[in-house]
Amino acid sequence: MSDWEARIGDREVSSAAGWTVEWLDRSAGIGRATRGEEALTILVEGSGTEWTVTLRGRRIPVIVRNWRERVLAEADVASAGHAGPVEIRATLPGLVVAIEASDGASVAEGDPLLTIEAMKMQNEVRAPRAGRVASIGVAVGETVAGGQVLLRLE
Amino acid sequence: MYSDADAAAPHVALADVAIRIGPAPARESYLNIASLIDAVHGSGAQAVHPGYGFLSESAAFARAVEEAGATFVGPPAATQEALGNKLAARRAVADAGVPIVPGLIVPLEAGQVERVSTDDSGPGEVPPGDAALGMAAVGYPAMLKAAAGGGGRGMRRVDSHKELARVMTAARREAAAAFGDGALYLERLISPARHVEVQLLGDQHGALAVLGERECSVQRRHQKLVEETPSPAVTPTIRDALFASARRVAATVDFHNAATVEFLLDAEGNHYFLEMNTRLQVEHGVTELVMGLDIVAWQIRVAAGERLDDSVLGVEPRGHAIEARVYAEDPYRDFQPVGGTVTTWRPPEGPGIRVDGAVQAGRPLTPEYDPLLAKLMVHAADRPAALGRLRRALDECLIGGLQTDLGFHRWLVDDDAFAAGAYDTGLVSERWRGGPALKPDELGLAALAAIAARTEALGTRGMAVSGGRGAAGRRRAGDSAWAQLARDEAVDR
Repeated sequence: MSDWEARIGDREVSSAAGWTVEWLDRSAGIGRATRGEEALTILVEGSGTEWTVTLRGRRIPVIVRNWRERVLAEADVASAGHAGPVEIRATLPGLVVAIEASDGASVAEGDPLLTIEAMKMQNEVRAPRAGRVASIGVAVGETVAGGQVLLRLE
Repeated sequence: MYSDADAAAPHVALADVAIRIGPAPARESYLNIASLIDAVHGSGAQAVHPGYGFLSESAAFARAVEEAGATFVGPPAATQEALGNKLAARRAVADAGVPIVPGLIVPLEAGQVERVSTDDSGPGEVPPGDAALGMAAVGYPAMLKAAAGGGGRGMRRVDSHKELARVMTAARREAAAAFGDGALYLERLISPARHVEVQLLGDQHGALAVLGERECSVQRRHQKLVEETPSPAVTPTIRDALFASARRVAATVDFHNAATVEFLLDAEGNHYFLEMNTRLQVEHGVTELVMGLDIVAWQIRVAAGERLDDSVLGVEPRGHAIEARVYAEDPYRDFQPVGGTVTTWRPPEGPGIRVDGAVQAGRPLTPEYDPLLAKLMVHAADRPAALGRLRRALDECLIGGLQTDLGFHRWLVDDDAFAAGAYDTGLVSERWRGGPALKPDELGLAALAAIAARTEALGTRGMAVSGGRGAAGRRRAGDSAWAQLARDEAVDR
């Protein structure tokens, strides 16, 4: 059994048989995967346990960990709390153009909360689950940074 | 000319003279006419090429350039004005005998929606000027469009009267913010439809060249992702009709320089005028490839008063060209724009491949601007050969740091409908649907590659690893300096 475990999404994935990976440029993470007649140029980025493999233009996040890291991560998951308050964050920088939610209001899953304009597009931010709007941290016309907390649901 | 956000951009480094025109927000720089005119004066420029996007279709900007004593490289300001309002253009074009998409030719007034009947029983008598009654003839589903919009922006599908009433406010707000004019109108939804456009180039002496058509039906959010020429849907008969209509549209205005006339093509091959864009299109490159012409150079030449010569007027297309737009967008998440930094940029190279890009590894993307990273174009003798070349180009194109739509394009070249040329504007929503699930084989290769990357950081450089139980995980001896360094780093961690 291998020392190393790869996880994609929430499951363990074993290395595909038959493929060979050769590095074209190791420091840039550029490799060539071949299997028989088939050949692919791939890109592998990351460090430590977190890696991203780009395959046919698609980024696949892969967690690579050894036995020790695995035990630690599983202990972490076990101690994590139950679904509590949710912070809604901006996925990318933009401008708040409308706020549909109101303070203290109950919302259903999928209800529009606010609209952020970024990259010339208006993006509706929706409630990831049902709850009550505990606080709204931004105002219409405000520029928000990526990752900034917009609103709290409880 | 550049904004603060672009101070380190490749186009600034390439320019002989680069002038700062303001801070990052487009409103204060690329859309700031006063600042742009200052740059014209400061540089002593004789002409201004407006590119595409921003003020490229602004009559006010064209006029300001002319008043500043420089030449605007594009159709005259009055022509842009006449065509910029899509409703006025619809009226003029219909009068010239060109079929338009059935629908309103006057704006939908605020408050009208609420008292309108949505009976689809027929047009009946429509009192002139009453847009509300005209709506009854449009029927649902319909497209709600911004009169000052274009290029697919400020446009959405409405399936019912209730939905129309609900989206009006947001649509007006979006139109007012994007185009400075909140006027809206309705068109019947033609479905299935293909989006086909005709490239025009005219000089100031009355000569007009029709430089073929482009198929632009691969779209998301009514915005193009892929363009090709010639269109697989256009037969010689349809082509003649399209070109004749395009000439008629151009004749409704005082036209010279470059423009594109956009049409919808229904399943029977009927075409309907959508709009005329009085500027260079993003996708002009595919036309340049098959025609062997430099359209931008010709724009400047005709702006300087030169005549089109036989190399343009008598040009015949050669082969087939396809463009894949590379966007910083996640096709697996509804093509949402993605922020971040491109860490690796390795474009494809080789015969028949052209990449127009503005990417620089390590430079963060600017959320203020369009998420278009590059345009990947291929040219080959025929469509199957062009598809094969595109497949190879996509396989070789590597972008790190963020998700792009390359995964969508790679899927598209192998999609049956696209490969057969039998697709319409519904392709992305009907066939892509968020993208295929990852195959076990792909997951397994990703696992192999990631484990190899991590474990090889502890091993030898340049060796190959193979899949299969245990093989990738084994640590191998290696004494290169690089490996030693990596090992030291691992120990420090």
